[in-house]
Amino acid sequence: MLGRITYMELRTGWKGILIFCILILIVSASIVQIFPFFRDSLTEELEGANQVSLELPTDEGTMITLSWEPLENATSYMVLEDTRVSMVTAKIAYSGEETSITFEKDFEEKRYYAVMAVIDEASDPVLIGIATTEKGEDPFKELLKNPVYAGFTGGRSISMLEVKGFVTLEFFSWWWMLAGLFIAYLSVSVIASDFENKRMDVMLSTPISRRRYLLEKFGAMSVIALLMILVAIVGLAGGLTSIYALSEFSAAAVMLSLIGCLPFLMVIAAVGMLTAVLFQKVRTGMGVTFAFVFAEFFLYTFGGFSKSLEWLKTISIFNYWDYSAVIIDDLFKSGDFVILTVLAIVLVVIGVWVFEKKDIPT
Amino acid sequence: MDQEKVIAIENLTKMYGNHVGVKDLNLSVNKGEIMGFLGPNGAGKTTTIRTCLALIAKTAGEITIFGLDSHKDAVAIRKKTGYLPGDFGLIPSVKVKSYLKYLLSLRECKSAKKMLALAERLELDFDRKTHELSKGNKLKVGIVQALMADQELIIMDEPSGLDPLVQQEFYRILREEKKQGKTIFISSHNLAEVESVCDRVAIIRKGQLVVVEDIRVLREKTGKVLEVEFNDPVNIDEFKIKGVSEVHQDNDRFILTVHENLDDVIGAVSNHRILNMTLKTYSLEQLFLKYYEEAENRKRGGK
Repeated sequence: MLGRITYMELRTGWKGILIFCILILIVSASIVQIFPFFRDSLTEELEGANQVSLELPTDEGTMITLSWEPLENATSYMVLEDTRVSMVTAKIAYSGEETSITFEKDFEEKRYYAVMAVIDEASDPVLIGIATTEKGEDPFKELLKNPVYAGFTGGRSISMLEVKGFVTLEFFSWWWMLAGLFIAYLSVSVIASDFENKRMDVMLSTPISRRRYLLEKFGAMSVIALLMILVAIVGLAGGLTSIYALSEFSAAAVMLSLIGCLPFLMVIAAVGMLTAVLFQKVRTGMGVTFAFVFAEFFLYTFGGFSKSLEWLKTISIFNYWDYSAVIIDDLFKSGDFVILTVLAIVLVVIGVWVFEKKDIPT
Repeated sequence: MDQEKVIAIENLTKMYGNHVGVKDLNLSVNKGEIMGFLGPNGAGKTTTIRTCLALIAKTAGEITIFGLDSHKDAVAIRKKTGYLPGDFGLIPSVKVKSYLKYLLSLRECKSAKKMLALAERLELDFDRKTHELSKGNKLKVGIVQALMADQELIIMDEPSGLDPLVQQEFYRILREEKKQGKTIFISSHNLAEVESVCDRVAIIRKGQLVVVEDIRVLREKTGKVLEVEFNDPVNIDEFKIKGVSEVHQDNDRFILTVHENLDDVIGAVSNHRILNMTLKTYSLEQLFLKYYEEAENRKRGGK
């Protein structure tokens, strides 16, 4: 797998790889720095909920009382009612100068109330807080039940107030794109550019078989993917240490959550190489490989939208790299690791088979 | 006794969809000879060469090189073969030396001695970056890499574009290689270019082999075209001498096709004041016409 072609690939491409690794290091170390600020502002926002109090009907009564702290400069208040915390289907339940309202409970399901203060008619109202008819639930946790979030988190309740949750949602949501698309680009171009720049004739006039050529290029991709992962581990661990959060977040979790994406990246590399030998053009190969990565991502996201669509997830490679299981549940799914590794091997074998059949264009 | 065949091509056909690349081609290259492979652009020279090297798959026919199947034993064949593609790219932003050393290592050759010697003889600058090279220098890199690993068979696809002095040195190198028992298969679209170095020539046109001929026979058959312009009127009959097959007059300009007896012809020409004179080898097109005419005549005679 590793040989002179691998070495040459790394040698000629080292500048690009270096720049990319520096980018990974900076982003992965600094994204964590945002966490303390993010937590503080989120806490402040959630504390807003305490400024609104909701008195639920006792066993005999049916009346609900909603009251809130008056806000300075407020000319009037507005209460929105919805069955969801996201307030997408809200209707206005009250509008006036009172700081408390009482109304009859004539529903069974859970309701949310957002209280807002109107300060100036010309500008948007300011949120005072949110209250819900069922106590004990963190409104943010409710928000996470939103299918879009569930797509990211695998249905786990992930708190953005903890560094684990923050890293899971904020770091990994861009990491797959950054690393995945870079590997997609590299794997297509290291092979297709040999076609386009007429290097293949000389290359394959040496006693290098097509299989060895492809495997060595794949070897180079593995080395680069591993390097990116190591740099991200260093960056993330460094970032966590600098905000004194590494203890909350085990070093093993940092490592395993990223190591788990190695076979994920290798599948993308194998697809890139397959398209490169199939189309023998950088542009076409790149287009198809990028489309593959995004299609897989959407399959996974759509699969999270409803139970009946869940099967879509099983055909997405994103389903087999569960970083949140490692981070939140301390569970490294080695079975998933094996599935992706086998898939990568199968794709490489197909790539070799196709390459051996194809004419080298002049 | 039969000579040892290094390349044996039998009934080779290569189709690109409906388009014929090469059709029913039979050709063999003997050990220790320099075989020229001539034909105009698009005749099928590159296709033939690239099927030999298994860069493209053949549609039908057999190719054996060193007695091995060109497709199944491609890697074994390539261990003993050096190849210069007609169009080839270099790895950008590496030095010529690193690139050649890289290819040397891929060719499993440990000694860089020959590479250095070749580069010096061809005046190739080792420390230049590959993307800075001119076309001629790129070709030199290609020639060096084809020869440097001391392989038994050397296949070159149109190595033209060197400046004349380097070209002469290149041919000297090829002749030396031949002396060492190497077999060389070299394609060109220009007869004059390879004439001085080849032992035999195979001519291909529209994917089909026209003829394989010893270079001496070819020279005798085809001869030269002498174009002379005189200062004063000259009678055309003066050139009806032995060895001149055709005379064409255009005022004071004469075009003579000469097969032999060149000294007598020059003697006849020098009886007059000459304004201008050129002596050219047959062009490939003229050569084809000649061979086609011959084939046609033979057909008619046979009836």
